[in-house]
Amino acid sequence: MTTVNERMVFLDGSRLIIEAMARSGAGAYIGYPITPVNWLFAGAKQRIPIALEAPDEITALQWAAGFSSSGVFPVTASAFPGFALMIESINMSFMMELPMVIILAQRLGPSTGSATTGGQGDLLLLRGCISGGYSLPVFCPSNLNDCWEMAAASVHTAVNLRTPVVLLTSKEMVMTNQNMDISGLKEIERAERHMHEGNGEYKTYGVNGNLAPPFLPLGNDLHQVRLNASTHDMEGITQKNSPEALGNTERLKNKIEQSVDEYTYYEHDRDEGADTVILTYGISAEAAREAVDLLRASGESVSLLVMKTLLPVPPRIYELLSAYRHVVVVEENIVGLLRELLYGNRQHDRIHGVNKIGHMIAPREIAEGVRQCRKPS
Amino acid sequence: MQETILNDLKMPYCPGCGHTVANKSMSKALADMGVHPLDVIVVSDIGCTGLVDPLLTCHTIHGLHGRAVALAMGIRMGLEHSDKKIIALQGDGGATIGLQHLLEAARHNLDLTLVVQNNMVYGMTGGQTSGLSSTEFKEPDRPESAVPGYDICALAQNAGAAYTARTFIGTDTAELWKEALSTPGFSLIEIVEMCPAYGMRKVQELHDTADYESVVTRNPRAVGLPHKAIGRSLLDGLKPIEHTCEAPLDGRLEIIVAGSAGEAIQSAGDLLSTAGITAGLSATKKGDYPITIGTGFSVAEVILSRQPIHYTGIDCPDIMIVISQDGLDKVRSRIGEHTLVIADAKLGPELEELAGPPNLVTRDFRKTGGSKGAALAAIAHWLQDNGFLPIEALVEAASRHKHGDKMKVIIDKAVAA
Ligand code: SF4
Ligand SMILES: [Mg+2]
Repeated sequence: MTTVNERMVFLDGSRLIIEAMARSGAGAYIGYPITPVNWLFAGAKQRIPIALEAPDEITALQWAAGFSSSGVFPVTASAFPGFALMIESINMSFMMELPMVIILAQRLGPSTGSATTGGQGDLLLLRGCISGGYSLPVFCPSNLNDCWEMAAASVHTAVNLRTPVVLLTSKEMVMTNQNMDISGLKEIERAERHMHEGNGEYKTYGVNGNLAPPFLPLGNDLHQVRLNASTHDMEGITQKNSPEALGNTERLKNKIEQSVDEYTYYEHDRDEGADTVILTYGISAEAAREAVDLLRASGESVSLLVMKTLLPVPPRIYELLSAYRHVVVVEENIVGLLRELLYGNRQHDRIHGVNKIGHMIAPREIAEGVRQCRKPS
Repeated sequence: MQETILNDLKMPYCPGCGHTVANKSMSKALADMGVHPLDVIVVSDIGCTGLVDPLLTCHTIHGLHGRAVALAMGIRMGLEHSDKKIIALQGDGGATIGLQHLLEAARHNLDLTLVVQNNMVYGMTGGQTSGLSSTEFKEPDRPESAVPGYDICALAQNAGAAYTARTFIGTDTAELWKEALSTPGFSLIEIVEMCPAYGMRKVQELHDTADYESVVTRNPRAVGLPHKAIGRSLLDGLKPIEHTCEAPLDGRLEIIVAGSAGEAIQSAGDLLSTAGITAGLSATKKGDYPITIGTGFSVAEVILSRQPIHYTGIDCPDIMIVISQDGLDKVRSRIGEHTLVIADAKLGPELEELAGPPNLVTRDFRKTGGSKGAALAAIAHWLQDNGFLPIEALVEAASRHKHGDKMKVIIDKAVAA
């Protein structure tokens, strides 16, 4: 029977993501109708102080950048077709160092594919979407509780690092209702930007210590702000390739990578003595959890590693994986994007895949994959 | 002396370039109006117009080709009612690429000024014609082209701009600038000018070539600004589901409810899930329906389980509740050997071939529940028969619903039948 503090409700991931982002300080949501993010948009219209319909995804990202440069934290969401249109503007925001979150809900591709079928096909797009190969931080919820926590982590990381961040999810996470006791959700703090203070000299991209420059909004009364999407010096003036400007661009790489330990999230369910680990993320993680139960119930030992910070690839992940003889990478695509991200195109004897498109991968298929890889050949 | 938004750096443009003149007149107008540089935000585009940033003492933001107006809109909405002047600078190339943004800004009538420096060419990339190049302006390698240029002032006016003006370089523009910058709402100034490097070199040539003439339009209307709401928590409004009775179910049960659009299939799925939670189970539910939600099939997939549910997929359901032909057509292939099918009587003959007794139960659920209550009637009938969940759980779940009273009547009828 219901205990005193319990609050059991029936809800979807979209609701948790939007609520968590609002509590983290999201001030504007710029939407564009596309399946499967319509529930996020609907939630945002009730929850986020400013919720707008942009006429297209390029506009959505430009508006987001405008909000961010004036001090309001923006969120937008799309699926691959819309995300593709956003990419140039995401690069712009990355270069200008404007915090924002883009929620990318994956669906079956290529192209428009199937709008109401899930998928996990966009990981390498994210890995390569910033020209020059720089990483955008990418978080990925693996269950409802993660929808809450990774949404908050996305906003906080975006603010702390002054960068766009992607929350990578999928149709099945944001459009499935599940029961959840929400009394156990963690408190979320509002993310506050690190502001420039005082009347001293201000350079928009000047840093001291912290690799993310302190912020001032466009239009402030004290200091000139110069935001720039082109290669620029610390003041924000366009430069072709001066040492100062190239140094500034290198800082963008270091800024994201240097602190990755601080925003590395994962779940490691370690079975002592297991020589095999199932490695997965997002929607396939839930099936993997059941596969682990299945295997263990029949006396087969196996571990599970669920990545919640996908990019930049946390060094900690390699440390954990190195303890296993077999790594079975489970993801809803037939190419093996996470496998390629971690191990390249070369085939490795110890790296295996369980892959599929058009349907969620089922627990028994994962269990079968684990058994296969351990068979002596 | 009033500070100007131009510093004393040398302008980077070719001799005779119209951009030099345009920038000076912008600076003079702001100074004459007594606007402090830190009260100005210039949003610059790509192209020769976008070389302006280093010359400016105001706030600057230099973005992508064609997107300056959209970016300026975002800034205006972020700064809300502040009296900062927001000025977007584009060439004719940028205005072509971002034409949609220009119309959108005019439609919203946000308080900002767009300056289009129209020299009829993409200067920075070697003199290609743009959407604003006029019929008589020819690229040397494409003398046969004869497409008229957009009249962006007319377009912007039509889309709702508060103020538009087209002028030709060489004319005194002081008054235009002042009016544009002080008009509340969206103002557009198009300056037709020379690009001695690739375009026209003389003022007269501009007049002779242009498809359009000087114009000023005024359209006083409410200034746009996004609505700002006090957001309501998305969690506080969710009524907790009390665990008030017990279900005998020990394992996991996968259920598909299938029917047609408008037959309350999704709410029947929600109700069944809520009933499961009321009886202490875990539940998940997802819907499947065509993009045209008003027609065709509607399918709800529900899982009830004693244990927490991780994987939410259903391959071959334990129970299938089917109340219409659309629904049956959609889910027929998923009926497995062990699936118990509970169907509306009309579907009986077709289903008998697929799933003969004892795996098939048919009743006239439409008669019991009507088209909107047939799925619920079938669920109630099934629960009554099999006892996976106590009927009170379903009644309790219905009582949370805005049509709860009607639902309870249907449940009672189904149980009695
Ligand atoms: S190329 Fe044309 S537009 Fe560019 S600076 Fe030279 S004259 Fe001006
Ligand atoms: Mg031009």
